[in-house]
Amino acid sequence: MQRLTESQLNELQQDLDQIRDQVIADLGERDANYIRRVVRLHRSLEVGGRVMMPFGFIPPVFLTATTALGLSKIIENMEIGHNVMHGQYDWMNDPSLNSQTYEWDTACGGDSWRRTHNYEHHTYTNIIGKDRDYGYALLRLSEDDKWRPAHLLQFANYVLLTTFFQWGVGLHELEFERLRKGDITLKEKIPFLKEFFRKGGRQAFKDYIFFPAVTLPVAPIVLAGNVSANLMRNLWSSTVIFCGHFTQDAETFTEEESDGESKGHWYLRQLTGSSNFTGSRWVHLLSGHLSYQIEHHVFPDLPAHRYPEISGQVEAVCKKYGIHYNTGRFAKQYGTVLKRIAGYSLPDRLRTRLWPEFSQPAA
Amino acid sequence: MLAQFQTSNALHWLGRQLFNRTDPAAFFDPLLERIDPMLAQQTIRARVVSITTETADTRTFVLKPASRWQGFRAGQHIALTLDINGVRRTRTFSLSSTPSQWQENGTIALTIKRIKDGLVTGWMHDCLTPGETLSVSEAFGDFGIPEAAEPSLYIVGGSGITPVLSHLETMAAAGSHAPVTLLYYVRTRNDVIASKRLAVLAEQWPALTLSIFTTNEPGKAQRLSDQHLHQVPGISARRCYLCGPEGLMDLASDLLDRRDVPESRIHCTRFSAPPMKDAVELDADSLGGQVQFAKSGKQTDSRGDASLLDIAEASGLSPKHGCRMGICHQCSCTKTSGTVINRLTGKTSGNGEETIQLCVSVPAGAVAIDL
Repeated sequence: MQRLTESQLNELQQDLDQIRDQVIADLGERDANYIRRVVRLHRSLEVGGRVMMPFGFIPPVFLTATTALGLSKIIENMEIGHNVMHGQYDWMNDPSLNSQTYEWDTACGGDSWRRTHNYEHHTYTNIIGKDRDYGYALLRLSEDDKWRPAHLLQFANYVLLTTFFQWGVGLHELEFERLRKGDITLKEKIPFLKEFFRKGGRQAFKDYIFFPAVTLPVAPIVLAGNVSANLMRNLWSSTVIFCGHFTQDAETFTEEESDGESKGHWYLRQLTGSSNFTGSRWVHLLSGHLSYQIEHHVFPDLPAHRYPEISGQVEAVCKKYGIHYNTGRFAKQYGTVLKRIAGYSLPDRLRTRLWPEFSQPAA
Repeated sequence: MLAQFQTSNALHWLGRQLFNRTDPAAFFDPLLERIDPMLAQQTIRARVVSITTETADTRTFVLKPASRWQGFRAGQHIALTLDINGVRRTRTFSLSSTPSQWQENGTIALTIKRIKDGLVTGWMHDCLTPGETLSVSEAFGDFGIPEAAEPSLYIVGGSGITPVLSHLETMAAAGSHAPVTLLYYVRTRNDVIASKRLAVLAEQWPALTLSIFTTNEPGKAQRLSDQHLHQVPGISARRCYLCGPEGLMDLASDLLDRRDVPESRIHCTRFSAPPMKDAVELDADSLGGQVQFAKSGKQTDSRGDASLLDIAEASGLSPKHGCRMGICHQCSCTKTSGTVINRLTGKTSGNGEETIQLCVSVPAGAVAIDL
């Protein structure tokens, strides 16, 4: 990681705090109108998709309905749910946009997400051993994990994870790897499992039982449409998220170097451990503005639609301290993610020969 | 129709399964509000019918709540909720109209004085126009009218007249014969709120004795004194109602006490405290205060810049929390009243209900937290 002196870190903190303060001082009706417009778009897409779906025996209608429902889930999860649960709109005092009570349209329960993502991932970002989002305890993405032959299969694991992403995220807090090692017992996880089955069951009931059942004669079509919409959301959201931290230049950290760190050091870790990708306005909206992952990680509770407006300032701050601002076209960034997954599935010596660019030493 | 959808248990359960929320009907609000804001299900909407000027700083807002609003008794209050620059604000106001008016044409009235530098009252005076909608709560409060045939005395200051107007007009309409005396204290002649309505009452309702005193009129300053009470016949047998600023209420209670009016016959309704000044300096002297944790019933005093999370933990509570540095919002919860300062921004909150982050919020004066 880029080394900065203590006084540089303080200065970095001041520079970033200043950007944050500017936005906070300016929060108001524009932000409220924006998120309400997105909520309306979500409701229209979901209602439209669900109403059209039973008429899916007409192929173009099936395509439209599935796309509408898929987009509705993507927008709800990425731009509304994820961002609302970060507290980006708590200042509005609107109970339907409250970070602590919002429940989203995916298998992972809101409370579990708030614990594992908002707290663990955003506080300990990319610290190997503390940020369980790094590779989801399933993929080997740096030399910090010792290579084992089982890692040869990790590309297949990745395909499974991205296909069933909502269930993977839902079960994240089970900490399967620690259960296997015997660090924790299944008994300790009973409250979590109850929560998981309640929320996951609710999602499965809605999409795979209730809506097909009420449209019985065309149940298979509705079921197929709902499965496709969920798949669409799974593939897109996992892809966006993988592009946020697992690109070629996204750095990892050790517990020692982050222990008792200053806010400035935390900022530095967020800047170097995250990566952006470029795209059109719609790409940013559908990614919940996680395409501005760097801005999101330094300011997780600023309304996400503000990230494009401040990205220039954040990039300038990075430049000032010689910090690499990791961005690129979507295809390029995703390409490096795939290479990283494939590369680290191989023994280190083979990988460094095939892809010398992935020779980042252990953090 | 949608409200009924909410009340049935089975449908309610189904709604939760399908919409992931405890108020499933409100899932459609964003779309319904586009058609007509009055259709919203999450809150009860009311449309502004008219706004009339009472005095230089007081206006009466006539509202028509959605039909599922359940009505009120004379002297009750409602909480108004409105969005100002994207932020939802809630404040309590007394209803100044009569229940019979609501039964007749479905309208209610709030007579609201503009508080100096007041965010909500200022906005209502400057920006609210007829045709717009805001949210109202069901009515609450127990500042009710006296039993029939019971003599009464009202001691009222300034905009404290609002719930009293509702009382008097309700009793007058019922043709009550028991004597009613109103001692109404205002700063100057021009500050008399609803002077026409009062004049009509005094003229058409013989039971009412109306005395208006001006406390700041040059050469004619008349503050509440024992002399005024002396002129009220049979005062010890009267039910007494006090409504106005703190100073007047304290003085009135004192004087009534000296005249041996039992406490059980004195009814008060207090104004909410005036809002804190916008900029409280972040020096340790102005920080801290009494902290009340409503759900757990705990209460404690804090000093200096201790955060509410630390204060809660010190008093034996274990609120949900995460980073302790204002990042993760795990500790966000509702402050029901009082003012806090955000350590990160140095910004002072309003004094109404709002969501705060415990780990970076420092109380500035007495605070109540929903914890």
